[in-house]
Amino acid sequence: MAILPSIVKRPKTLGILNAVGYFLVLSGFSWFILKADLPVSFFKFFYIDALAAFFIFTIAVVTFAAALFSIDYIERDAAGLLISRNKARAYYTLFNLFSLSMFLVPMVTNLAMVWIAIEMTTLTSAFLVGFYNTKASIEAAWKYIIICSVGIIFALFGTIIFYYAASNVGVKSLNWLNMVSAGKGMDKNLIKIAFLFILVGYGTKAGLAPMHTWLPDAHSQAISPISALLSGVLLKTAVYAILRFAIITNKCVGINFSSKLFIIFALVSLGVSAGFIIIQKHMKRLLAYSSIEHVGVIFLGLGFGGAIGAYGALFHILNHAVTKSLMFFGAANIIKKYKKDNMNIIRGVVSSMPFTGIMFTLGMFALIGMPPFSIFFSEFLILMAGFGRGLYLASGLYLFFIVLIFGGILYHFSKVLFGDKPDDMKAAKEGLSVKMVFVFLFILMAVLGLAMPAFLNKIIISSIAIIEGV
Amino acid sequence: MYIFLIGIIIMAYFMVIAKRMMSLIASFRVQSVFLFLATLFMAMKEKSPELYILAGLLLLLKVILIPNFLSNIVKKLKMNEGIGMFLNPLFSLLIAVFLTYLSYMFTTRIIAFKAEAQVISFAVSLSVTMIGLFIMIFRMKALSQVVGFLVMENGLFLAASALAGGMPFFVEIVIFMDVFVSVIIFGMFIYKINKLFTHIDVSKLNTLRR
Repeated sequence: MAILPSIVKRPKTLGILNAVGYFLVLSGFSWFILKADLPVSFFKFFYIDALAAFFIFTIAVVTFAAALFSIDYIERDAAGLLISRNKARAYYTLFNLFSLSMFLVPMVTNLAMVWIAIEMTTLTSAFLVGFYNTKASIEAAWKYIIICSVGIIFALFGTIIFYYAASNVGVKSLNWLNMVSAGKGMDKNLIKIAFLFILVGYGTKAGLAPMHTWLPDAHSQAISPISALLSGVLLKTAVYAILRFAIITNKCVGINFSSKLFIIFALVSLGVSAGFIIIQKHMKRLLAYSSIEHVGVIFLGLGFGGAIGAYGALFHILNHAVTKSLMFFGAANIIKKYKKDNMNIIRGVVSSMPFTGIMFTLGMFALIGMPPFSIFFSEFLILMAGFGRGLYLASGLYLFFIVLIFGGILYHFSKVLFGDKPDDMKAAKEGLSVKMVFVFLFILMAVLGLAMPAFLNKIIISSIAIIEGV
Repeated sequence: MYIFLIGIIIMAYFMVIAKRMMSLIASFRVQSVFLFLATLFMAMKEKSPELYILAGLLLLLKVILIPNFLSNIVKKLKMNEGIGMFLNPLFSLLIAVFLTYLSYMFTTRIIAFKAEAQVISFAVSLSVTMIGLFIMIFRMKALSQVVGFLVMENGLFLAASALAGGMPFFVEIVIFMDVFVSVIIFGMFIYKINKLFTHIDVSKLNTLRR
């Protein structure tokens, strides 16, 4: 699946081939979901059930978008002599290694392999974060790899304890299916402790507060198409890992344990991100904090639980991935044009870059949760789930933080978007591939908001069944 | 067996009070030797070829290759100033002992073990892991963070052996490879940091705020 281009020389051709490759992956996989009878497993190593398929689909969508966007972006970087030709080729190699490791996460059966795949994502993306070799980006990359390595050590510890608990009841394997079936018999205290380690460990990679400190730096310093991949998909692969363990835990100790933990971490993340978004100066950092917020929303949905909460959370995973990618690409265009990332200075984007400006505006509305865009619906579903369970305080806090962030983002981005453009800036057009990306993502946002495609609906419902342990 | 475990934890204490980079790396090397001997002992007891291979890998990677790699970095970067410490050695040692006590309490209260060897192994592994975390957080040099990471991994390997007789063989091998690659990548980044900042003091890496 990963196409490793070390042969082609010119960045633009490389980019186009790359994007075509990912398009094939995306269409191939969508066709696969439509036709195949899930769950599917081959070689006893890969196992794709509805839940995994949903995540793979999300990854495919975003990697395709990022590949498409990279064509123009990298080419302009190379032309502007920001990076050398060879560096551009290295970019595509790293890009593919990175997405390969991300695709692996939902595809493997063995929980230790999940760990290894997630570790691979950290290692491969580290270079993409520090890509521009500036002081700030190397600092960000270092924080990223150190904090995430600590995180996954905790996660490994949790995995070991799970393994121990399972082998105590005779299941000497890390195969997820086997562990779920061992569910009821395992020692409850052990599982609780193990799950806590898993949540803190993988939660670090998912961007849950208070383990999120690496995120604003890494996502803002990374080269922009990669920021979209990091925010849109990488965080979600960590969510996937936590989910798998949560299913086992729920079988063993009932759903209240994980539910409470999810809600607490989620609300902390929402609070922290709300605060930082309001005082933010830089676009990409703001978007990074917004990712923390949305991961909080996802966990809130999982914590509230039930079919509605789970549906909202899963739906949100896709929605956020799509919307956040669009926003990062828009921000990338803006930063490239204005040559800085300070929202106190940038003005008049809609006038100077009409296409990007309008797309970014629409994306902004989508991101903060305006109907009829998709995020509104997933956030609303989660809210309904909260009320349905009678968790009024949590739902109230959720609403409060969402509104704060709504206001914050609206304020900051309106400043940037509207008003007169600086006098010495000429209106410019973007490349075709860039326009294609925006249109593609926008269509996804709108379509998912207005009507749910049948095959997606089926997948999500099957995934919910898996989560509930049916 | 006990002697190896004692050796492991004592080396952890050595690392906590180490003032220079080279002594930190040397203590890590000795700790890995003890871990290797412990694994070898278990391999002979269980007569399992897989454990022999793991012990061999341990020897190769954590006793020889990785410490050599780290010392090379130290020599190339000419780090003579010593490890910056946020907490002085005495206080650090007290905290390390306290962490050991905590792990022991945790082990005996929460997890019901059958054999006493298992209890001590797990308690040692948990304390070593926490001490590794301590080293990562409370030492100012980027390289010491890498050593802390490796110590945590040592602790985890011991925990896995104590709890479940080790993870499935294939898993252990891949984890080893993974740790090795991580260290290489950490090393590459340390070079980059040194080139850009002309030091590897992480307390000074604070250009990104808010």
